[in-house]
Amino acid sequence: MQRQWSDTSRAYAMNAPAMAAILLLVAYPIGYSFWVSLHRDNLAQPALRRFIGLDNYLGLLSDPAFLTSLGVSALFVLLVVGVTVVLGLALALVLNETFLGRGVLRSLVLLPWAMPGVVNGLMWRTVFDAKTGALNGVLLQLGLIDSYQAFLASTTGAFVFTAMAQVWNTLPFAVILLLAGLTTIPNELYDAATVDRAGLLQRFREVTLPWLLHPLLIVLILETMNAFRAFDTIYVLTGGGPGDATATVALLTVQRVLTYTDVGLGSAYAWVITLITLVVSIAYVGLLYRRGSFEV
Amino acid sequence: MSTIPLRYRIPWKKIVVTVLAIVFGLYLVLPFYWIVAMSLSYEPDVYTVPPHWIPSPATLDNYVSFVDPTGAQALVGSRAVAETPYALGNSMIVATATALLNLVLGVFAAYSFSRLRFRGSGVLLMVYLITRMVPGIAIIIPFYLLMRELDLLDTYWALILSYTSFALPVTIWVLKDFFRAVPRELEDAARVDRCGWFRTMWSVVLPISAPGLVAAAVFSFMTAWNEFMFALFLTSSTASKTMPVIAANFATDLNTQFTVMAASGVLAVLPPLVLVLIFQRLIVQGMAAGSVKG
Repeated sequence: MQRQWSDTSRAYAMNAPAMAAILLLVAYPIGYSFWVSLHRDNLAQPALRRFIGLDNYLGLLSDPAFLTSLGVSALFVLLVVGVTVVLGLALALVLNETFLGRGVLRSLVLLPWAMPGVVNGLMWRTVFDAKTGALNGVLLQLGLIDSYQAFLASTTGAFVFTAMAQVWNTLPFAVILLLAGLTTIPNELYDAATVDRAGLLQRFREVTLPWLLHPLLIVLILETMNAFRAFDTIYVLTGGGPGDATATVALLTVQRVLTYTDVGLGSAYAWVITLITLVVSIAYVGLLYRRGSFEV
Repeated sequence: MSTIPLRYRIPWKKIVVTVLAIVFGLYLVLPFYWIVAMSLSYEPDVYTVPPHWIPSPATLDNYVSFVDPTGAQALVGSRAVAETPYALGNSMIVATATALLNLVLGVFAAYSFSRLRFRGSGVLLMVYLITRMVPGIAIIIPFYLLMRELDLLDTYWALILSYTSFALPVTIWVLKDFFRAVPRELEDAARVDRCGWFRTMWSVVLPISAPGLVAAAVFSFMTAWNEFMFALFLTSSTASKTMPVIAANFATDLNTQFTVMAASGVLAVLPPLVLVLIFQRLIVQGMAAGSVKG
């Protein structure tokens, strides 16, 4: 058996089942999605279905709901990724030190990662709630507020608190990748810097940061994608409201399809999301290539 | 060096690290503690100002109401309450089936990358990685239409197939590294003993890379267990609704009792939480290797 087949044909035979699954379940749907996006197609009115070329896409340029949602998504990504990277780096640096209870903290870091997005949303609802929330309780007992606040009722409040809920959920991922990066830094570099009388900040700037540059970029890219496609937490926490304060482009797309059954326009939305993700993916794959992760 | 003798120096660094560690620990634990505390409270008690930080009296009534929905706690949102046991079962079946199907499909592909030199292997590996990047929202509509065409809406298959497509790339990436770590000599020895490929895999390669199989299985189980958007589109009854769908039903129902909602959330997080606690080390290893999250 081994000698009859060349490695290449054996390899492709072995990849055939996985490739078939991916062609059928990912590649075909993406292509089909583009085809659907070229149609006026509402499931509630099958008789009106017809080919309209790029009209759905041209319509997006003057679709206020869509343009607003792109803006909301962009701000959401900025806020979530920014806070996640700063907190993630701080937590990774702490975990890289030795202290009592480090093992416990390392286990705790994985807690948010295990949390399904929906439950994350539920959990933060119980924390932010205007009548029963823990945040209100804490702030009141600390004397920082006089009476309970409805944190999710204002547009800015809802947006910021939803972003913070998302940060909690995605933080472990950043921490673990950054911690893995930190452990690869040779101790000799720090020793050398100490001999050169470099202070703590200087050591961070001149040893830690350059070594962490690559893991940081990977975290930035992957967290950007995560935040851009975030759906579960937002859906449960605010449902896109109040008004359209937290209606990201992913949320809007789902509403278009589930509420208005407009699969044609929904597909056009989805394709814009695909294109934006594609640009980010290319950056990511390019980075991995440069690091040599693809040498097989 | 400083002129102050070492033992008189205030260990600023240690203090800062310890304080930060405590703050981060509280940040990670307190929100989760709060939903657990709520799930153990009586509904009227959670409306006190300031809140009871420790549920008193504590109760398991909210959890009992899932198996006995006629209980007093379940007057509101009783439909979601009654559906919860089914959803737990559905989630368990779908997630387990996804993990198994992933291993079967993934083992072959991963082996080819770890042992065979072949043209296009780098490109193929990249194709798998890019598949992983495709946002669910981009394929949900055609996937829904396809499942409708195949008459698979509201069945386990619709969910298992979609989750397999999410988890397969990660499975392949994780497994290939574990397979590569198996000493080639062991395989050669088995071959000298006239073991065929399947026999060699079964009795040599797979047992040695058991941690990798477990890591891949845990990842795909969690992907399937936690997924919400596809389940929202593809399920419509207790025949296939999963836990996240039910938990979201609680959340979007304005009349929901907070305590019951909290209990459903805790139930939905328990299986992945237990898996993560048991397989911590493997998961961290896999996360760093695969660099992927669902």
